[in-house]
Amino acid sequence: MEARKDFHQRLNELYEETLRMGSDLLRIIEKTRLCFLELDRDAADDIIAGDDLFDDYRNRLEEGGLELLARQAPVAIDLRLIIVIMRIAQKFERMADLCEDIAMAVKNIRVDRIHSWIREAIDEMARRAIRLVERAMECFKERNVEMARELDAMDDAVDRLYRGFFKEFDRGREEELEVAVRIVMIARFFERIADHAVDIGEHVRFMVEGK
Amino acid sequence: MTVAEVRARTAESRSQHEVVDTGGIGRSSSLKELEMVHNQAAVDGEAKFRLGSMSLYYGERKILEDITMDIPERKITAIIGPSGCGKSSFLRCLNRMNDLVEGCRVEGEVLLDGEDVYRRECDVTALRQKVGMVFQKPNPFPKTVYENVAFGPRILGIKERAQLDEIVESSLKKAALWEEVRDKLKEPALALSGGQQQRLCIARVLAVEPEVILLDEPCSALDPIATQRIEDLLSELREKYTIVIVTHNMQQAARISDYTAFFLIGCQGDPGRLVEFGETGTIFTAPADERTERYITGRFG
Repeated sequence: MEARKDFHQRLNELYEETLRMGSDLLRIIEKTRLCFLELDRDAADDIIAGDDLFDDYRNRLEEGGLELLARQAPVAIDLRLIIVIMRIAQKFERMADLCEDIAMAVKNIRVDRIHSWIREAIDEMARRAIRLVERAMECFKERNVEMARELDAMDDAVDRLYRGFFKEFDRGREEELEVAVRIVMIARFFERIADHAVDIGEHVRFMVEGK
Repeated sequence: MTVAEVRARTAESRSQHEVVDTGGIGRSSSLKELEMVHNQAAVDGEAKFRLGSMSLYYGERKILEDITMDIPERKITAIIGPSGCGKSSFLRCLNRMNDLVEGCRVEGEVLLDGEDVYRRECDVTALRQKVGMVFQKPNPFPKTVYENVAFGPRILGIKERAQLDEIVESSLKKAALWEEVRDKLKEPALALSGGQQQRLCIARVLAVEPEVILLDEPCSALDPIATQRIEDLLSELREKYTIVIVTHNMQQAARISDYTAFFLIGCQGDPGRLVEFGETGTIFTAPADERTERYITGRFG
């Protein structure tokens, strides 16, 4: 007989909501990637307006987690799962903020096209960042610590791309300073999204192994 | 003469006319084997009790099987587990309360300060004075508050009124009950509230200067405020006494104990076994055994 049925049901609802937040986030990151590639200012407005969704997700998950902590005195895997849900919600919300930042930068780039090598380099980083987020969500879903460890190596690749891009960009820069700064920021924001995905892997490791 | 002196003297006089037998009951494991097992459940500081492959039988029925663990000195050790897993029986092995059960037999070792409590020459009365017990339901004697606390010391031969007064007062103070009953010492103990009666029972144990206090679900008949009082009291007592508490309330174990032992039976009729023993913080955040995890998170039991 399973005791504490209501509690586990409520905890499962929070878990499901975290997964929903994650898949919504993935959609937004993909939209952000396209928004940058096409310098689509309408899409940028959409992304900026849609950020509230993620703030709401985060608030709900945080409040739900706090309530369970206060009322149910969870222990062991339940305790760790609640803590990790709250941390992941925070990470997801930060990633959504970075998408918003990218959208802002896109809106403020006052040129109609950018060099194809720059587009391609940043696109490669963005694709890899998206794969990292997908992977982080999978390892959370499957509680897979081995997969969490792989995230580090995947992120190293993104870091290398970022550093390479930065060097190349600095050497052959033709854009005016303001445009150049925004482009660098966009690259940086995608790189940060990948970093947050790695952190999620760390949280999953804590959830599974308790350390 | 203090209680300790009385105890030392009676122990001395007993040992003079009792046969010395160094063999324990059913001692089967070699010392080396025991060392290995003890290391697995190492605790900080000294062990007050060391149990080596202890099994308990009531007649033909095996109640507990192969329990090996250290109970650390001056710490609170909580025993948790579902009903019928042998928690209370385990507790009663520590001061031989099970001796009163027909057909009771203990195998393996139960060492208290290095001496087997089941050795033949063990003085059970002295053992129970050193290892006091508090039960689920407060059970004061139908006497006055004062007489309840003075009962033990009187049996030990303390007759002087002034000395008894002192013991009663200090025991009631240690049990955090003095302020509430100082004007009621001549009143019947049964007139106190349930929580006060339970603290009186703790004071009664403290009056004979024990070193270990065993508590068998001491709060299960108390309201939350009285429970809180007992928990606060136990936290204070841990500085001087080794405390072992059986509790059905896992949150109580999580709140007050330093170490937690989880007991479980496989199927109905199987003996209880120790599944996991460790620091309470670890047990309640990241237990090593899946059965512990399932039990404490309420996924069975």
